[in-house]
Parts: sequence; C-alpha cells; structure tokens
Amino acid sequence: MVFGIVVVNVLLAQTSFRIEEAERHLERLTEEHLELVREQATLSAPGRISAWASRHGMRLPDDIRILHAPGTGPADPAGADSPTQTTDQPSGSTGEPPT
Amino acid sequence: MSRPPARRLVALFAVMAFAFAAISVRLVVLQVGQAQELQDRAFDQRVRTNALPAQRGQILDRSGAGLALSTPAADVYADPTLVVDPWGTATRLSPAIGIAVPDLVDALTSQGTFVYLARQLDRPVSERVEQMALPGIGLLPTSKRSYPAGPLASQVLGFVGTDGVGLTGLELAYQDALAGTPGERTHELGLSGQAIVGGVDEERSAIAGSSVVTTIDRGLQFHAQTALEDAVEQQGARGGTVIVMDPETGEILAMVSYPWFDPNTFADARGTTYRNRAVTDAYEPGSTNKVITAAAAIQERALDPGVQLTVPWTMPVGDYVIHDSHPHPPMQMTLGDIVAESSNIGAVKVADRLGSATLATYLARFGLGQATGVGFPGESNGIMLPLDQWNDTSLATMAYGQGIGATPLQMVTVFATIANDGRWIQPKLVRGTIAPDGPLDEADGQASRRVVSAATAQMVTRMLAYAVDHGTGSKAQIPGYQVAGKTGTARIPTGDGSGYLEGQYIASFIGYLPAGDPEVVVAAILDRPASVYGGLAAAPLFRRVALAAITRLGITPAERVHLPPHALPVG
Repeated sequence: MVFGIVVVNVLLAQTSFRIEEAERHLERLTEEHLELVREQATLSAPGRISAWASRHGMRLPDDIRILHAPGTGPADPAGADSPTQTTDQPSGSTGEPPT
Repeated sequence: MSRPPARRLVALFAVMAFAFAAISVRLVVLQVGQAQELQDRAFDQRVRTNALPAQRGQILDRSGAGLALSTPAADVYADPTLVVDPWGTATRLSPAIGIAVPDLVDALTSQGTFVYLARQLDRPVSERVEQMALPGIGLLPTSKRSYPAGPLASQVLGFVGTDGVGLTGLELAYQDALAGTPGERTHELGLSGQAIVGGVDEERSAIAGSSVVTTIDRGLQFHAQTALEDAVEQQGARGGTVIVMDPETGEILAMVSYPWFDPNTFADARGTTYRNRAVTDAYEPGSTNKVITAAAAIQERALDPGVQLTVPWTMPVGDYVIHDSHPHPPMQMTLGDIVAESSNIGAVKVADRLGSATLATYLARFGLGQATGVGFPGESNGIMLPLDQWNDTSLATMAYGQGIGATPLQMVTVFATIANDGRWIQPKLVRGTIAPDGPLDEADGQASRRVVSAATAQMVTRMLAYAVDHGTGSKAQIPGYQVAGKTGTARIPTGDGSGYLEGQYIASFIGYLPAGDPEVVVAAILDRPASVYGGLAAAPLFRRVALAAITRLGITPAERVHLPPHALPVG
C-alpha cells in the first residue's frame, strides 16, 4: 500500500510537471504569435512600404489620370449648362447698395 | 555539609517538572491558543498570489490591419534590502536594461523595499535579466503597447501610459473595453520556489480586452497624411487638417491634423501635437459656411435659384463695411453664382431674406454649435452665439462663415448632409468591438435627421459642382469626375475678442465626388498658407486626397449634374 501511494504521488508529480511545461509552452507560443502579429503589422505599414519603394526608385505619379473608354462611362449630357434665367430684380432689404 | 542525595533528586525533579510544565503550557499556547494564527502565517509564507495582467485589446483599421497592438513585456524591480552587492548588481544589469550604472546604484541603495529599475522591457531582455538570478531583483509581467505604423492616425488612436491605461484618443475613449479584466494565480511554493504538488493552486484567468475596429482605412489615411504634410511644406503653412468621410454611412475613412506625433515615442513630442484638432478645435469656417445659407434659402423658398440679385462689392452692415474678396462693379448674380464666385455680399443679401431666426435654425439643424457625438474625447461643440445674443452684424457675418466657430468634423458633416440628399448622419469613427474569439459587436446605431429635402440638396450640389467647374474651386477638378465643393478663406480671430489677425487666413476646400452620386467627402484645411486662398492652397490638397480615394476605394464616375441657373458667363 505504501508502495502504491508512492507511485501515485510520483505519477501526480510528473503529470503536474508536464502540465506546467505545457502551460509555459502555450504561453511562449501565445507571445510568439503576438510578436508575429506586431511584426506583420509593422512590415505591412503603408509608411514602411512607401519608404522601401522610394529607396528602390519608385514614386507616386505627379498626376493620376483616369481614362474611360468611349461608350462605357456615364454620359456627359449635352446642354448640362442650364440657361440663364433672367427675372425681375428682387425688392426689399436686398436692394441696390448705397453709393 | 552537602545535601543528602534524596533531597538533591527531589530538587532536580522539581526543576524538571517545572520546566516540563512550562514547555507544556507553551505548547498549549502555541498549538491551541495561537494555532490558527500560526497556521495562517505559515500558509502565507508558502503561498504566493501573482497578478495575471489582461492582454489589452487591439485597435484595428476597417479591414482588420493592426494600428495599436500589445505584446508581452516585463517590469524590472528591486528590493534594495535584499540586494547584496549594489555595484556588482548594477554592473551586470546595466548593459541588459540600458540604464547607467550610477543611476542603478542610486536605485539599488535607496530607502524602501520596492523600486522600479526599468519598465516594459521586451521579452528577450527580461529573460536575460531573469537568467542572471540576481538577489533582490525581480520581474513583473506586463505588456507593452506598440503602434506598428508609427505616426499613422496617431491623434485618432491616442496612446497609453506606462501603467497601460489609455491617456488620449480612442485608447482613452475605449479604455474599459480594451483593458480587459486582470486575473490572479495563487499557489503554494516550497523553499526552492518550486510549486508544492497537491498544495493550493488556484487561478482566476485574466480576460483579454476587446479589440476596437475603427472606420479608418489605413491606406487612405497614409495618403491623406502624406498629402497634408506635402501641402503644409509647400505652402509654408502652420498646420492643417484632412478628413475623408463616407457621406452615406458617416464613416470616417481618414482623419489627421498636422503636425502629428509618433505614439511609440509620445513623451518626446510636443503636447499640442496630441490633439485631434479635427474634432477638438473650432475655427471660423468662412465661405464653406455659405452652403448652409444657400440650402436654407432654397429650402425656405427665400430665393428662387433662378432669381438674380444685384451684388456690389461692398456693403455697410451696422458700423462695418463688408466686401467681397476682390473689387467688382455691381453684378447680377443668381444664388448659384453667389456660391460659385463665393460672394460675401451675395450671401449677406440671401441671409437678409432668411432672417436671423431662420438662419440660426438651419445652422443648428446642420449641426453647428453642438458636438456631433462621434464618441471622441474632448469633442468641441464649436462656437455659436445663442440667437438672443446676435448683434447687428451677426446675421451678415454668419452668412459667409465668420463670427461662428465649427470643428472640421462638423463642417465635413455639413457637406456630407448635402451629399446624402439632405439627411444629416452622425459621423462614426468606430465600427464596433470584438471580444476575444467573438464576432464583431457593432457600435450603437447613429443618430440621423432630415435637414433639407432631397430636391434642395440636389440643387445645392449643382451649385457646388458649378463652383468647381466654373468658379473659385477650379483647382479641385479631377478629369473624368465631376466634383462638387466649396472654397473657404477665413480670417482668424485674435483669441482675445479684439478682432481678427491682420493678413492671416485659414484656407479650406470641402467637397465630394462624384457629384451625381457622392461616395466620398473630403475636407482639406490649411492654417495660414502662403497662397492664402482656399481655391489656391486647399483645393489642390483636396484634389490629391480625392484622387487617392478614387483609386483606393475604386470610385467610378457618375452621371454629371446640370449646372444651376446662373447669370455669369461660363467658359
């Protein structure tokens, strides 16, 4: 019986050590994951990519022109410019300015 | 003569009996009287309770890219009473934690039992310190906040202090959601520090904080910041602000003020750069405010868009004479012409037809004088005098945007209202939060209200398109797209109420595109640019940011809107 209790105790201790080790491993992996997430965000940051591109001779165009193939874009309606409407001069408080 | 042996034995027995009785009494005292207390003290010596810091949530852009992240770190502390060799300890620690030996010695020989030596050290560094196993030196687990994109959207994000609590920006506004709930672990340790098998081992796990998903588009934010920085430099301006907003949803896609700061090194930056001026600072909007005057006039039928007014270049108002930006002979102008040419006198004449009460009502309906409720700390209400405090020039000056203060966010929301067919929608900076391993919990619904009819809004859009196609906003034109927008060149108040700074102006351009089906509203504001005028200084900035929005968001052209009735010839 004493032998059995000793064996059980040893097994319990070993299992406890293994659990502790697994927890530490999980913690390390979690930390590694977080570090990788940070690294990924750092590497993909627009400012870093832009600086990298500049160092390699790339730059944004001075002027971007968007071209549309004839017949595919929206129509530019003829006569979009409404005719001038000439009406009577309003009266009241908005009359002629003082000289 | 010596005592007989029997008496000596009796004496010895008596002494032993007394000693035994004393020991017995002491045992009873210890094992009965003080048993619980001593057990507790022994238990306390074996048991350690360690705080388990909660992982702070991330702040993400609209597509999930990390803008603010936390990584595990450790604080290094010392118990000076347990440090055996201060100089030797300092000499070993110094290269690892980057603090000079004399400074460390000062800390290691200080009074008390706890002193921080270094905070938020990265894991590799803290592990090196741990391996040194120096007497009196300990480590406390914590986390370190980092901002992978540096100064990108820094004024929106804010930053956290060394204790991990948000101090400004969204870090402050969403502190409770981001922080999570710390846990703790209680366990029994032997002399060597090894856990006692079968002993107490209780753990209350920390609950990680939720992540905050913003409406910011990381790429567009970068373009906005780059364009603003270049414009400030080219114009020799003191600063500036850019906001990009989706008019239909109210989502803010980019928001920045220059100068900005890097939240990774916020302690090195000037405190004034922390402010998100787009939300916290009011300015006099100048002629961009004419959009409200025009919308009110159309909605109230105070002036038919086809009616022409005679507009001189100066006009007395109260004790003052107001004037247009450039001398001109009296001209016949429609409301569209007044907007397109940004005539102050024309705006005053329109406001006269509206009256103070009506104009005040529309200013308020468009959201001036009250915070938008975007949920950002320190949002300003702007400055709008109550109607009963208006003086004899208030109606006139407010018609063209002086004598009234608004934040850039309020002004971009005014234009978003017109772009959104007359419906004001509360701007939005946060889409929602994501609990660990949970789905997106969308933010509360936004307030919205109708300000003017869709027909009125569409007429105003035609006037704003006219302003860009043929008026003061021509430098905002983008080939292939019709832009609707308005320039503003506003004087700057002195701050002590004595008037305006001589020859100093805020230049702005606020507009949207495509005019026929607006998908994005952009506000471009520069503080005291060399070119002075909104049409010269701010419109090119608008154009550059709008072009970035077109390519970034894939905006396609829409049907062009007709120009409004006008009396001035168009080229």
